[in-house]
Amino acid sequence: MEARDIIIRPVITEKSMNLMGDRKYTFIVDKRANKIEIKKAVEEIFGVKVEKVYTMNYKGKPKRMGKYEGRTESYKKAIVKLAPDSKGIEFFEGLQ
Amino acid sequence: MSANLKKIEKSVATLELTIPKEKFEEGLDYAFKKNASKFNVPGFRKGKAPRFLVERYYGEGVLYEDAIEYVFDEAYQEALKTFNLEPVDYPDINILQIGKGKDLVLEATVAVMPEVELGEYKGIEIEKIEYDVYDGDVEYELEKLRQQNARIIPVEGRPAEQGDIAVIDFEGYIDDKPFEGGKGENYELELGSNTFVPGFEDQIIGHNVGETFDVTVTFPEDYRVEELKGKTAVFKVTLKALNKKELPELDDEFAKDVSEFETLEELKQDIRKKLEEKNKREAENEMKEKAVMKVVENAKVDIPDVMVERQIDLSLRDLDYNLRLQGLDLNTYLSITGKTIRDLRKEMWEGALNRVKTQLVIDKIAKVENIEATEEELENKLKELAESYRVNLEEFKKSLTESQINGIKEDIAYYKTIDFIFNQCKIVSKKTNGKMSRG
Repeated sequence: MEARDIIIRPVITEKSMNLMGDRKYTFIVDKRANKIEIKKAVEEIFGVKVEKVYTMNYKGKPKRMGKYEGRTESYKKAIVKLAPDSKGIEFFEGLQ
Repeated sequence: MSANLKKIEKSVATLELTIPKEKFEEGLDYAFKKNASKFNVPGFRKGKAPRFLVERYYGEGVLYEDAIEYVFDEAYQEALKTFNLEPVDYPDINILQIGKGKDLVLEATVAVMPEVELGEYKGIEIEKIEYDVYDGDVEYELEKLRQQNARIIPVEGRPAEQGDIAVIDFEGYIDDKPFEGGKGENYELELGSNTFVPGFEDQIIGHNVGETFDVTVTFPEDYRVEELKGKTAVFKVTLKALNKKELPELDDEFAKDVSEFETLEELKQDIRKKLEEKNKREAENEMKEKAVMKVVENAKVDIPDVMVERQIDLSLRDLDYNLRLQGLDLNTYLSITGKTIRDLRKEMWEGALNRVKTQLVIDKIAKVENIEATEEELENKLKELAESYRVNLEEFKKSLTESQINGIKEDIAYYKTIDFIFNQCKIVSKKTNGKMSRG
């Protein structure tokens, strides 16, 4: 899997913004990717050094439209902690 | 912060204000803090989204308005001070350059107090106006006094005549039915005064007290009550009493009664003197008016339109107020006269312009000549006002605000200036073009 297929999009919420203060950046990633792949992908795309990756799998929520039942997409969230000597991720920094 | 006076034309000044980016940034920050709770960005509770996200989500423009408001006032006031401008309206703001990390450049257009260029105002030549008092005027006044002192005496032993005051009960019928407003009791009707429908009064003449009779009249086509126009009505009239006005004889006795004078001749002299004074005052006022008009004509002022519009607003408010006293209002007035508010404003333009100009010119002269109301004059004026309102002077003073007192002071100065102009005038007597003060 290519690096850019693994990292789907950043998560920008109040909570994730607060985590940035601890050099932790949050992404939605491909469900099939593991921590090592995520680490490599982030390092490749943003040119940073990753210290640790936390992942969590979210099940999609069941939804119903009339008689049609379904669920929203399941996804995997990864919080990437950068090494103390690494630079920040510009993508987020540019926002600030 | 720098300002640039680009031009001033027809008393409308155009200012270019440059606000450094740091200051503008401060304004943006202020605007964000003020509005933070209104922004709703997904992923954040209301008011918790950081500024850069808000700017990104809503576009940079959301904060501009408040930011400009924040920085504008200071820069604007400073610019006014620098260029010594006195605005008479709110400024129009135009954005010339705006953006993140750039200086903010604004263009403010505002009508300012126009510069008055005084023409000749000392030694203006005005024609002498003088009104003579004629014997007829004195007699007219005397006759008025006589009428006021007339005695009402009952008439006995003869039928009603022209000039009598008849006391009547009446009830009117149209087609044998009484109609509204057609009834009266103990009504005092002066025969020949034409207060009633034509013909009514004439038909009472010749009747004796105590008689009841019919009066038949036809309402005129232009009668003020719509339903009665052109109708024929029969009034049942009872003549209850007949009175007569008796005018006092014009003699010394009369003079003693109505005045403190002993003889009629003295009374006449007094009336003449009073009329002369009145005429003199009137003539003087007219001359003053002419003098002021000339001075105003000689001056040059570029009056911005807003000032005239403001004056028209004031006049319209006065008009509305006066109409309300008569139980109308401006809208009804407009529909009666068939004019639109725009027509009315157009009509008022010329007069309003003149009033504004007069005010400006007089103010300017007062400034140039250092004419101000003295404490004593203010005191006198306040006393006068308090008397006319029938209030205690001290209480009256307390009830006035500072701006009201200033207004009174300005008023005094205004009239003093007019007197000043008048006193400086050369009065040229052409021919004494006396005219009857009462046509």
